[in-house]
Amino acid sequence: MLEMKNIKKIYRTELIETHALEDFSLHVEAGEFVAIMGPSGSGKTTFLNVAGLLDTFDSGTYLLDNKDVSRLSDSEMSRIRNQNIGFVFQSFNLIPDLNVFDNVDVPLRYRGLSASDRKRRIEGSLDLVGLSSRWKHLPSQLSGGQQQRVAIARVLAGDPKLILADEPTGNLDSLMAREIMDLLDQINSRGTTIIMVTHSPECAARASREVHVLDGKVLDLERPRVAVTRESPTTAGLASSLN
Amino acid sequence: MLLYNIRIAAKSLRRNPYMTALLLAAIALGICVSTTFTTLRHAFAKDPLPGKSSKVFYVRMDNWDPAQPYPGDDPKSLPPQISYADMRELMKSTIPTRQTALFISRLFITPDPKVAKPYQENVRLAFSDFFTMFDVPFQYGSGWDRKADAKPEAVVVIDDATNKKLFAGANSVGKTLRIDDRVFKVVGVLAPWRPTVRYYDLNGGAVNAPEAIYLPLNFTPLMQIRSGGNSDGWRNYTINSFEEFLKAADIDWIQFWVELPTPEKQQAYRDFIDNYVRDQKKHGRFERPLNNRVTNLMETIGDFKVVLPQLSAMAAVSVLFLAVCSLNLVGLLLGKFLARAPEVSVRRALGASRGQVFLQHIVECEVVGIIGGALGMLLSFGVLKFLTKVLPGSIPIQIDGTMILSAVFLSLVAGFVAGVYPAWRICTMPPAIQLKLQ
Repeated sequence: MLEMKNIKKIYRTELIETHALEDFSLHVEAGEFVAIMGPSGSGKTTFLNVAGLLDTFDSGTYLLDNKDVSRLSDSEMSRIRNQNIGFVFQSFNLIPDLNVFDNVDVPLRYRGLSASDRKRRIEGSLDLVGLSSRWKHLPSQLSGGQQQRVAIARVLAGDPKLILADEPTGNLDSLMAREIMDLLDQINSRGTTIIMVTHSPECAARASREVHVLDGKVLDLERPRVAVTRESPTTAGLASSLN
Repeated sequence: MLLYNIRIAAKSLRRNPYMTALLLAAIALGICVSTTFTTLRHAFAKDPLPGKSSKVFYVRMDNWDPAQPYPGDDPKSLPPQISYADMRELMKSTIPTRQTALFISRLFITPDPKVAKPYQENVRLAFSDFFTMFDVPFQYGSGWDRKADAKPEAVVVIDDATNKKLFAGANSVGKTLRIDDRVFKVVGVLAPWRPTVRYYDLNGGAVNAPEAIYLPLNFTPLMQIRSGGNSDGWRNYTINSFEEFLKAADIDWIQFWVELPTPEKQQAYRDFIDNYVRDQKKHGRFERPLNNRVTNLMETIGDFKVVLPQLSAMAAVSVLFLAVCSLNLVGLLLGKFLARAPEVSVRRALGASRGQVFLQHIVECEVVGIIGGALGMLLSFGVLKFLTKVLPGSIPIQIDGTMILSAVFLSLVAGFVAGVYPAWRICTMPPAIQLKLQ
């Protein structure tokens, strides 16, 4: 699914150069749930930005779904982000002016789907995260956990192959964090690859593999935790309702 | 996607009503000023006879002093009118499909004493072709015919205001009217008619209103009607009678128009005029080099400088003023858009390309441009209505379809000019930085 080799990313200012990623190499199989761990400033978020085609890199190679994405135009990268990648952010990143329905609609708008197709996907994904009755609510009218569920519904509606989650439970209490992790588990069990940056050992423990990053490099401490492929009645329903 | 972007724009504009009001006010002011001045210019410059102006020609011949040209900037200046004697000769030509000589006078009208006291009124002396040539609108009856010209018959055409004044606005065709010492029968009543430019007489007050009364020009010698307009002459004459005045071949006081529908007729008529002048030269007239002008209506409007250069300059300055208003919005829009960087970064992460983000913001600017433009046009309607009232002569200046289209175009351009840089800045902002900051 994702193959990075010797990725180098340097942030430059007039005075200093910061080597955010230094010979960063990582291989993630399709269907894996990988937790990226490491201290602040270790390069986790930079890795997610590069992996999500939100940022460029200076050298190295990056294959996403067996396609070299090192030198793509902005519109090609946008199309891949829109169709193949879903983002879950720590601070939810919902658009405050838009209600729940319209927030979930945003990536579908850029895909050029018909109104009926978009409606079907939005209603299906809101149903799965248990918020179908809240579709008219603005983000400010929802709790943090509900907002994150809307953000996950936004991802689900797009049916991406890869989900990049940047500390998805970082702003939530433990109960809500568990709900969100359950949801991510379900999504992963239908075959969607998830790469999650987290500081939380509990959350990392839910992943199939942990990858530790320090000073922009992957440490050789990887260990598989659980089997990659799983299927449950819930996730089977999830998959069929979105396809 | 356009409707989606318009929806986003509407939400964005509602979010900060004060800033939105400021943006709209700037565009509205710019569009009001530019539309007002471009409409003023357009009112004088537009074609007054669409579809026909290229077939109606004004005739001038250089019968001026051989020692010096007719006064003017151009050394080839020539008198703006022709003499009565020359007009009589030109009227003999059968090349034009229609032709008319014109001049203005002031005559005494003596209505029924029960209706009004005698008064002096502007009267246009013309031939019958005048009405059809210049598409003069009638509400009752019509102009007189060529037989009435030849005789001449005592017939008159009156305008709407005169008809209201003397006949209470009823159909007065067949009724009579005493003008000076003669009684004339009304054959036609004009519909209300106030062209911005009195295009059939550009020599004496091109922005004056049309005359109230129209009489056959052949009454000129019979009633000894003198011109109330401009006359030009360079030769010293001793004139003892009206007949001698009419025969004075180098006193120019008649406007002369012909209708020449085809290029062949136009060339034939130009040849006719040149040959006429060459023939006159043999009799000692037209001593200057051959210099005749047969110009269509729009060329004639240009020659008579109906559109003042000051008006064109003001129209240009008003468009520059709109540009300044628009450029002043760049800073406001830049601040507004950059404040939205987090939202834009989320949209970019969710798959919006730079082009789509650019388009979204340009659409917002165009929504401001269109709404501001509509407000500006409404203001401009009011300003022009006010100007129509305060300008001398009640010159009607209205925003027509062309000016509305022009204002819409200018509004769109203003919106684009104001928004292109801010939209470019926001769409080129790296999304990763903003996502990290949230």
